[in-house]
Amino acid sequence: MVPVADRAENERGPVERRRADRVVSRRRPVARLLRRFPLMAWLVLVWVMLWGTYDVGTVFFGIVIAMGVAVVFPTPPIATNMVLRPGRFLWLVGFLAWDMVISSVRVSWQALRYGRETRAGIVEVQLVTNSDHLTAMVANAVSLAPGTFVIQIDRANQICYVYTLGVSEGDAASIRHEVLAWERRVVHAVGSADEVTMVDAHVSAGRESR
Amino acid sequence: MSLLDVFLDVFSAVCLLTGALSCLLGSIGLARFPDVGARLQAATKPQTFGLLLILVGSAVHLELRNASGLILVALFQLLTAPVLAQLVGRAAYRANSIRRDVLVIDELGQRLDSEKYHR
Repeated sequence: MVPVADRAENERGPVERRRADRVVSRRRPVARLLRRFPLMAWLVLVWVMLWGTYDVGTVFFGIVIAMGVAVVFPTPPIATNMVLRPGRFLWLVGFLAWDMVISSVRVSWQALRYGRETRAGIVEVQLVTNSDHLTAMVANAVSLAPGTFVIQIDRANQICYVYTLGVSEGDAASIRHEVLAWERRVVHAVGSADEVTMVDAHVSAGRESR
Repeated sequence: MSLLDVFLDVFSAVCLLTGALSCLLGSIGLARFPDVGARLQAATKPQTFGLLLILVGSAVHLELRNASGLILVALFQLLTAPVLAQLVGRAAYRANSIRRDVLVIDELGQRLDSEKYHR
């Protein structure tokens, strides 16, 4: 038995079906090209950087390759309400770099001092915001620092499970606190105004309850 | 040899040596840590940091046209290392390769147990 929807699909002509299978609509090609401009610019930049020669020829072939990539691998437009705040974003990058130094030292110390006796923990963290992109960025930021990474994400309930090296039993609260601080930094750097209000409200609520 | 050259030489020497040291410490961790989860940390993170330092140390001695490729190396390392750690870590956890006796807190295990998920 073929389900009704599938049967309707099969009865359509081959041309129609091919069009229905497309990820990206073929209408309004100019608008689509404009929307793709950031992706194209990025691809051209990567191409030029790979060659290391900055001249018209390289850029021209970069554009050709970028257009080829965009045609062969069409991607649906990403709907997002993220806002880039350059100052906050630079601060986030700086903080990531600093965190990397500190935690590299910490992991190295663990390896030298404790070695086989090292203990670890997996802590459940309930994130405040509910957005695919923010969750991904928070997980990436947490995972970049040595000693911690996100081992599992329960997207539906906004929960991250964070593996941390060198913890003792009472550390769960401080790890949760740390991950939420990362979330706050990421949201302040790229989140929408509503999400910024959400994380700030969460902080002040946490302070009152303490 | 101008003062700037001396400064650049010292700067890149410090970067290269610290980077190498960080990679070495990562390898020591790889050998000494008790299970996959901990080893994954040693294998991915101090190495990333070490690589970044080595790239910076080399870049200051190169012309911009040659150094631009190094920026891409750093960028893709930073983008891919956390993803790799997450995938391997998750697979290791599911395959029971992360030793439960090493974990002092395991809230994921509690959750999975309460949902009768694993085993």
